[in-house]
Amino acid sequence: MFEFKPILNALLRAKSGAILLLLQIAITTAIVSNAAFIIKDRIAYLEQETGLPEQDLFQAEMMMYGGDIDLDKQIERDEALLRNIPGVIDAVHINAVPLSGGGSGGSYTLLPQDQVSQSVSAAYFLADNHVLNTLGVELVAGRNFEESEVIVSNDGAAIAKVALITQAMHDEFFPEGNGLGQTIYRENDPVKIIGIIKLMKGPWLNDKRKDRSLIFPHVRPRTFQKFIIRTKPNERATIMRKIEDVLLAEYPHRVVNSVRGLDELKAKYVAEDTLMVRMLMVLIVILVMITALGIFGLTLFNINKRLKQIGTRRALGARKSAIIRYFLVENALICSVGVVVGSLGAIWMGNKLMALYSVPALSASYIVITSLLVIVMSLLAVVGPAKRAADISPSIATRSI
Amino acid sequence: MLNMNGISKVYQTEMVQTHALRDFNLQVNEGEFIAVTGPSGSGKTTFLNIAGVLEPFTQGEYLLDGVDIGKLNDNQRADIRNQKIGYIFQGFNLIPDLNLYENVEVPLRYRGIKAPERKRRIEESLEQVGLASRAKHLPQQLSGGQQQRVAIARALAGKPRFLLADEPTGNLDSLMARQVMELLEQINRDGATIVMVTHDSELARRAPRNIQVVDGQIADFSLYQGNPAAVVGV
Repeated sequence: MFEFKPILNALLRAKSGAILLLLQIAITTAIVSNAAFIIKDRIAYLEQETGLPEQDLFQAEMMMYGGDIDLDKQIERDEALLRNIPGVIDAVHINAVPLSGGGSGGSYTLLPQDQVSQSVSAAYFLADNHVLNTLGVELVAGRNFEESEVIVSNDGAAIAKVALITQAMHDEFFPEGNGLGQTIYRENDPVKIIGIIKLMKGPWLNDKRKDRSLIFPHVRPRTFQKFIIRTKPNERATIMRKIEDVLLAEYPHRVVNSVRGLDELKAKYVAEDTLMVRMLMVLIVILVMITALGIFGLTLFNINKRLKQIGTRRALGARKSAIIRYFLVENALICSVGVVVGSLGAIWMGNKLMALYSVPALSASYIVITSLLVIVMSLLAVVGPAKRAADISPSIATRSI
Repeated sequence: MLNMNGISKVYQTEMVQTHALRDFNLQVNEGEFIAVTGPSGSGKTTFLNIAGVLEPFTQGEYLLDGVDIGKLNDNQRADIRNQKIGYIFQGFNLIPDLNLYENVEVPLRYRGIKAPERKRRIEESLEQVGLASRAKHLPQQLSGGQQQRVAIARALAGKPRFLLADEPTGNLDSLMARQVMELLEQINRDGATIVMVTHDSELARRAPRNIQVVDGQIADFSLYQGNPAAVVGV
């Protein structure tokens, strides 16, 4: 009924067109399955849960140039000013802004530096006891800083003795879950873990340390300062617009050089990935369209080349459905071989991407789904031309073409 | 076997209306061998196409083996072509990508005949035309006469009662033409009804009954050797 054998034999005897189509399908399968996998991976990266209410947070970055002030006191005044703005939930002076791509990191150990022990690298933040409320992150164990624990000093030797750490960092050190109250070390300085934060992404989303952060109760009064402000929902834009005026009114000898929402900072940080996702999506669409057009065109070409043959088949008793079936089966045979070759190509390409660009290993499900989609697309592309072929009159068999 | 009454065929384009057949009447009895001659453009091929159920007619009635062809849908017309009619084309119309065996197999597959029976019939018909040993050859590996014999084998494999031949020797040299004609005569003696369109008057004379088509109508039956009463329209 499906004429597999004669169709296959005919294809093997007239290979060139079939090979071209097969290669096109194979290349499409290989590229689309890898591109789709990368897109999925990047989208997961772009949409990862940060633990932060990004839409309600913004940073205000400024440079203090007046030599006439006590920076410690000015920070206190600024924090109080910001916290009292109507619509602001909380604000905090901080050394780095999560998701911004800029921050500080270091290595921490279970034992002092001069002894061999497990080491974990992590980002660190310096802020006072308003940090949890400002960032909107949740403590799953322990407590927040007490005011008395906050160090206000620009002296490098001044080191906080307690810290809040993220759950991910805690689990690296204490997989048994008993880290609260334990001591870890920054070089030889002991740091007691007083609280565990459920989830808080660090400054670098595209980094192994993205989930590992510490917050020390420390305020460094420097001329270059950063504040993070958390507003009530939907009030951020209004407050962002007036924040510069408010700060300058309090103390005019400063330049507020950046007022940006956390989502905006994140978008800037992940811009390349976003662009890559869009480009890959466009690539997939173009590639699939080219392949579909290729199949459509080649089938039309084959039909025009075989007008007499189709007419003869009709004259010999082929129903229209038999002609349509012929082209669908012919295409399905080419396509099946194409997706098998393409799947092998996809695995090879995935391995290369993994080796060269540290892309995760390609999941087999992407190859299977892409192959099925390519087969469906290919069959859809051939339906139109096949119907056209079926409409060829059997009388063409007796005419000169 | 074949009964055409008042058949007309009009080809209509935006500018031109062409009457290819006009009030065409013909009756062909079972077992007859008829040669249809006529000048180019006279309507021979249109007659052949309508007789072979390859294209519809505009007016009239056409009964083939008692079946009113004008009332059939496309699938039924395909089935009639497949089951009752065998075709031999001037250009052989073999499928170049299929070998001889597969070419002969084409109409049998459309009829849904099982593989063992197909094999038997293919071997038998290729044997009949003397090409059984070349079943695995492709058409282009054969001479014109051999290709036409394959086309005849393809027509015979379906065991049709009605054989239509369109200039069956038109692309052959005289020796090959004679061989093909002898084969057709043998097939006719075996019981098949044959209608052959030809330009070749010598070939036409070998047919027991001749009709001539001019301007879409039967014009002359002087060369016949059969029953003149069978020719309805003159």
